[in-house]
Amino acid sequence: MPFTKLVKNSAYYSRYQTKYKRRRSGKTDYYARKRLITQAKNKYNAPKYRLVVRFTNRDIVMQIVTSEITGDKVFAAAYSHELKAYGVEHGLTNWAAAYCTGLLIARRVLNKLGMDKDFTGVEEADGEYNLTEASEGEGRRPFKAFLDVGLHRTSTGARIFGAMKGASDGGILIPHSENRFPGFDMETKELDAETLRKYIFAGHVAEYMETLADDDEERYKSQFQGYIDDEIEAEGLEELYQEAHKQIRADPFKKVDEAGEKKTKEEHKKESIKFKGYKLSKEQKMERVKAKIAELKE
Amino acid sequence: MLRQIKPRNARSKRALDKKAPKPIENPKTTLFLRYTTCSQIVQDALGDLNQLRIPLAKKFTKKNEIHPFEDASSLEFFAEKNDASLLVFGSSSKKRPHAINLVRTFGYKVLDMLELYLDPDSFRRLNQFKNKKCAVGLKPMLLFAGTPFETPVQNEYTLVKSFFTDFFKGEPADKVDVMGLQYIVSISAREPVEGEDSKPSVHLRVYLIRTKKAGQKLPRVEVEEMGPRMDFRVGRVKEADEAMLKEAMRRAKNTLERPKKNISTDIVGDKIGRIHLGKQDLKELQTRKMKGLKRSRDIADSEDEEMDDVISDEEPVKKPKRV
Repeated sequence: MPFTKLVKNSAYYSRYQTKYKRRRSGKTDYYARKRLITQAKNKYNAPKYRLVVRFTNRDIVMQIVTSEITGDKVFAAAYSHELKAYGVEHGLTNWAAAYCTGLLIARRVLNKLGMDKDFTGVEEADGEYNLTEASEGEGRRPFKAFLDVGLHRTSTGARIFGAMKGASDGGILIPHSENRFPGFDMETKELDAETLRKYIFAGHVAEYMETLADDDEERYKSQFQGYIDDEIEAEGLEELYQEAHKQIRADPFKKVDEAGEKKTKEEHKKESIKFKGYKLSKEQKMERVKAKIAELKE
Repeated sequence: MLRQIKPRNARSKRALDKKAPKPIENPKTTLFLRYTTCSQIVQDALGDLNQLRIPLAKKFTKKNEIHPFEDASSLEFFAEKNDASLLVFGSSSKKRPHAINLVRTFGYKVLDMLELYLDPDSFRRLNQFKNKKCAVGLKPMLLFAGTPFETPVQNEYTLVKSFFTDFFKGEPADKVDVMGLQYIVSISAREPVEGEDSKPSVHLRVYLIRTKKAGQKLPRVEVEEMGPRMDFRVGRVKEADEAMLKEAMRRAKNTLERPKKNISTDIVGDKIGRIHLGKQDLKELQTRKMKGLKRSRDIADSEDEEMDDVISDEEPVKKPKRV
């Protein structure tokens, strides 16, 4: 056996400083976080807002967050499951739903700040690239937030940019460029507004529905069962989303009809206990082992 | 003495350049450390001070067997390793309960030290005040109230002032946005009373600034305590070595840009410069040419050429130059 130097000796362990908890669990990129929450030197000490976008398997979470010294505070939030109130029932994590959620949070924030009359954003989504500017009348400065994508990959056409586009079109200023939107051509460095518009109104979903309906009836049924149950056709999708955008602008705080009362903290706690695993006591463990042995003996 | 590191590649060179002395220094990072015994109160206090300093702070949780006033070499080591020029060391013992040592370094050597004893009864944590807090990484406004801070002679209190100014200074900025003025740190001490032994304690309070609508253009400003609330007794002091302090206070000469002289812009936008030509040598003045004034015949030829040059230059002392 060759001689190997013991690197992780006791001196190593006694000096070892553990990383932050969320670094250890791989949830936070602290390099990005530091830069997102603190102001640049030349910006004279002004506080900052982040637009946090996270995707789960069945939902999209969007929040406007400020960092205070004792922890982050959420200023406003919107979820894609809330889109049910506006007629978007299916495909709640796709590009078009991300856009809608972005629009929802932007309208909510501006409503809360009383700026929704001054900043209407892009009323008719056309897929053109534009940034929110100071309002025309008094020259009020727009609400500014920076996109926080977390650990999501920022590839061209990613859904997080759909959410960002929605929020940007909703009338808040999110500094960005056009080169991560679907329809951006790497070679010519140009954005095809037509393609982007198609994604905003779920044209890509409609297209896929059509091809499946033509080629593989069975697959179509399993993939789009929810759509079929609600009798939503590929042609009707664009109208559905247009209607949803209009309703979001009309009332950004609409509730889903069957949602019921908001649960209190205690009720939430009760609910979460259901899913909590408990440690077995020694007697219980003994019982379990005995039962297993008995089962084997049979 | 630590060995001098010579950078082997570009990355380590960049890292070294970041640490190297500069005309305008990096903002000071603070390192928070604790002694082997450190009461929960002091640990909480260190945590809160760390919160106020983020992101220019680093907090260590391991215990360190260091006595700063006896041997500070490990502190110097930590300062060098973490590029931290301010250290806050918390300890607690029977003789010195709830002590917080503030240490400043210069060139990774201890410059001066100050020991403060925290009053455990009046101490309130940051999160014991249930209200809004200020945003991360903002500069506070600083207020030092009380005659002890104003004395012309250097004593503990002027050192307290100097330490806390350094501690809360953060990054230098030439302008400040009003939105960024969110909190104020008030440090006060009452006047020392004659015939009383104990020195007046130092009170540290942090207030949030609330602006409310007043009906006028200027808002009504109110303050609300945000925490932490700390009262200190001043303890041991290690004052700076005079030569070292002088070296630390030295400023690089080229920090300020010199104002440009004699260049101005007129209404049209043209740049005008004024040139100074030096004193005119009257001996060289061209007078009437006469045969009798010529010194000699052989150098006359060469002199003639020179004289031509002089004529063209001597007229304009003030001459506008277009750039």
